[in-house]
Amino acid sequence: MVTNIQTQLLGRDVSFPVEESRFAYWLVVLRMIVGWWFLHAGLDKFLAWPFDASWFVGGAAAQTSLGPVVTLFSDGILLSFTNIMVPLGQTLIGLGLIVGALTRLAAFFGAFLMTFFYFINGETGGWAHGVITGDLLGLLIFAMIATLGAGRVLGVDAYLAKTSFVRDHPRLRYFIG
Amino acid sequence: MSELTTMERVGLYGGGALILIGTVGMGLLEIVAGAPHPVSGEGQVVHETLISLSVRSYTILLGLLLLAAYGISNLATKPPEDTSV
Repeated sequence: MVTNIQTQLLGRDVSFPVEESRFAYWLVVLRMIVGWWFLHAGLDKFLAWPFDASWFVGGAAAQTSLGPVVTLFSDGILLSFTNIMVPLGQTLIGLGLIVGALTRLAAFFGAFLMTFFYFINGETGGWAHGVITGDLLGLLIFAMIATLGAGRVLGVDAYLAKTSFVRDHPRLRYFIG
Repeated sequence: MSELTTMERVGLYGGGALILIGTVGMGLLEIVAGAPHPVSGEGQVVHETLISLSVRSYTILLGLLLLAAYGISNLATKPPEDTSV
């Protein structure tokens, strides 16, 4: 099966044919692996409850480029919010990717979280192994899943996209795969 | 395929360009004229880079912020095509 991908770059038509018979397989594998990555990270924190992010948002982040924003969450009610939202967010992002539900929304928040991990882990480690780290690659994979809308292959989003509610509110397509 | 507005071009191409400059561009410059290995063989971090690592961080961060702004402005302006299967 060959499909012509119609696409543009810098205003030029750069459409190209793709042999896509393994495309669905790849999307599902990608979703499952990245989904389990985050689901495991979230569940792990719940199983070892209580989770305390203060060492990360307070200590580690303080001297980084994201420090002025992140350290606001290192104390009081905002720290309590972070302590719940990090594991809950990771769990929901992982679940969303694995079952293919609200896939783009899950991938967006995955990339959002990875942005913090990338800069704080990278800068506190002095970018010892270069600026291309596993965290940046994770961020890019989330961006790719969001771009491809991978939830429509063996995912709940295939059903959600056809519901009258989504057809009546087309902007919701930004959140589903 | 829809044409990009000026703001979309700034977000998409500007953001992508800054990320590429921060990673590939400055990385190449370090190899050619700076310190491609800020880490010694013993794992000791030696910060003898041509371009400050924080400048590199901020360049990549600004690129990611522009891409995020592009995504959020898309959400606010136009609904996507129906691609349901």
